Amino acid sequence: MSSSLDKLLANPRVWRGRDQAGQQAGLASGYPELDRHLPGGGWPRESLTEILTEHYGIGELRLLMPALARLSTETSSQDFAEPGWIAWVAPPFQPYPPALQQCGIDLSRMLIVRPRDASEILWSAEQALSSGTCAAVLLWPSVLDDQASRRLQLAAEKGRSWAIAFRPLAARRQPSAAALRLELHPGDKGSRVHILKSRGGRPAVVNNLI
Amino acid sequence: MESVAGENAGAPTAIVEEQHGIHRIFLVDAEARAAGVQPGQAANAALALLPTLQLEERSLPREQQALEGLATWLERFSSFVSIADQDVLLLEIAGSLRLFGGLRALRQEISKGLRGLGFTGALAIAPTPLAATWLARAGRRACIQDETNLAPALRKLPLACMDWPASLCETLTGMGVMSIGDCLRLPREGFTRRFGAEYLLQLDRALGHLPDPRNSWRAPERFCADYEMTEEQTDRELLLNICRELLLSHEQFLLARQLGTQRICVSFFHLKSPATELRLGCARAERSAGRWFELLGIRFEQLLLPEPVIAVRLRSGMAQPLQAEAGRLSFRGKSCAQERRFSITQLAERLIARIGDQSVQAASMVAEHRPDYAWRSQSLLADWSGTTLDASHQAVQRPLWMLPEPMVLPMDSGYPVYQGCRLRFIDGPERLETGWWDEDGISRDYYTATGNNGRRLWVFRNRSRGSSWYLHGYFG
Repeated sequence: MSSSLDKLLANPRVWRGRDQAGQQAGLASGYPELDRHLPGGGWPRESLTEILTEHYGIGELRLLMPALARLSTETSSQDFAEPGWIAWVAPPFQPYPPALQQCGIDLSRMLIVRPRDASEILWSAEQALSSGTCAAVLLWPSVLDDQASRRLQLAAEKGRSWAIAFRPLAARRQPSAAALRLELHPGDKGSRVHILKSRGGRPAVVNNLI
Repeated sequence: MESVAGENAGAPTAIVEEQHGIHRIFLVDAEARAAGVQPGQAANAALALLPTLQLEERSLPREQQALEGLATWLERFSSFVSIADQDVLLLEIAGSLRLFGGLRALRQEISKGLRGLGFTGALAIAPTPLAATWLARAGRRACIQDETNLAPALRKLPLACMDWPASLCETLTGMGVMSIGDCLRLPREGFTRRFGAEYLLQLDRALGHLPDPRNSWRAPERFCADYEMTEEQTDRELLLNICRELLLSHEQFLLARQLGTQRICVSFFHLKSPATELRLGCARAERSAGRWFELLGIRFEQLLLPEPVIAVRLRSGMAQPLQAEAGRLSFRGKSCAQERRFSITQLAERLIARIGDQSVQAASMVAEHRPDYAWRSQSLLADWSGTTLDASHQAVQRPLWMLPEPMVLPMDSGYPVYQGCRLRFIDGPERLETGWWDEDGISRDYYTATGNNGRRLWVFRNRSRGSSWYLHGYFG
């Protein structure tokens, strides 16, 4: 019985949603409840993650900080001979270095890019992603259509980098090539994360996370 | 003569110089000489002899330019090249003999190279610079290596080769002094009294009795080259190709000096409008034409040219010694270099080339308690000196987002209001009272507050009575 099932599953025409062969290990987010719902047990590396929020200042950065801190200080044996850089493309405010350092981010590995218009934001992010020197690229695009998200996804794969795009909640209805899309809602006891789309995973809600 | 060669090749040419209001022939080429044109003739007489003769005004700046070009070229043969006179170049070759395989080979190489460049030169080799100059002027293909042979060789030279004032030469000739040997026979005291000490000094220097230090020629370390077009062009592809050519010669220029540069400026000249300039910067000294061309391409895409272009000029900034980079060994299958397409500096250069110098920044900490001054952003082209200040002593959590300027918040019975909602304080106050020693001293109570939409805000109030509330950051 089990052998015939194995045979069936070994057939390349059978597509399996979860636990895909070649599913790479995720980057631990530092929030175990969230990791449990993410395929690979963490943030999907080498792909585009979208975080949809209504406002800034509800913990959208704190959600990423443990992972970013590790990226900026650790030399991962496989990709980078030295810690990768973290690029901030078009942040809405000034990322405050003292606070970043409190979160454990190595400031000497930070690059802040302030492009002048929407197309330059995407161009800069794409350059940073595909350069192969940035471990993570955070961007705040004013517009991001399906095609642009696909380009970012490809650039992230090419440069083995992690792209994180912050977008308004209204972008929920737009199609996107992102590997992971999640919404962040403020709550009384902490923000609530709603996983909308997760490649190789399932939609889920994580309450009281931050 | 050679400085005009090439422009009207084929036609007999003569250089004219104005003397006392009359244009006289200064130099002639072989073809003109065959027709009977001689230096010293009036220009009109020469034209009567040879109506097709092309006359060129003598241009000292152009001669100087040609001479400097030659000096730069000669730097490959010796580390010490000096421009001695309008038409004399001095090379110290004792140190180069081994490298070039002996005196003969070196001499051949130099004269062959000179011919290749379209110049004719009289070469003379002597232990002192003045002796070599005089020998060359006299047209002796001398090669004196031993100082004992120097005096006999010099004695035979005519007075004219020393380039002394005509009146002095006339006086000397009148006295029956025809050669340097005759000069040397004159009593030294009498010679000094009658003609001045300077000329005796020259003789002593030529003979090696006195030292004769010279200034070394240094090739200019900034590159500047023009490309002029015969007619106005709008074809951007063509302009890019011109830029590529200029960049290639720029690379050659820097290569010869083992230098690189951090900045270049490309100017596109128009007939009427002022020139359009394109300034490019690199994070490290760079000479590779490929790299500069890549950066240029990014900017050129966006460049608006108001008019067709008539000329292109490339100027390089201050040259710097090139920093060589050691390649990294890779033991893992594909090489690292292939995977990492370019380094962070290259990435920064690309970004800066497109979106401007100020838009790409690094951040660092400053040891300061005032929140506004506790950090600094710096340009990426500056040194990468991120201070590693330890912030762990700060027990109080700082917000991840900072507003560029504190924002005044409206108040409701003493409490700050944000987006129509009275804020609740969840942490604080943290009192920051510092900076009294300069004009920007602060005295503030900071609170962490939250409104109804779940945002956590960093707000403060000045300690002075009746101060309003300010929003300074968000806990992102």
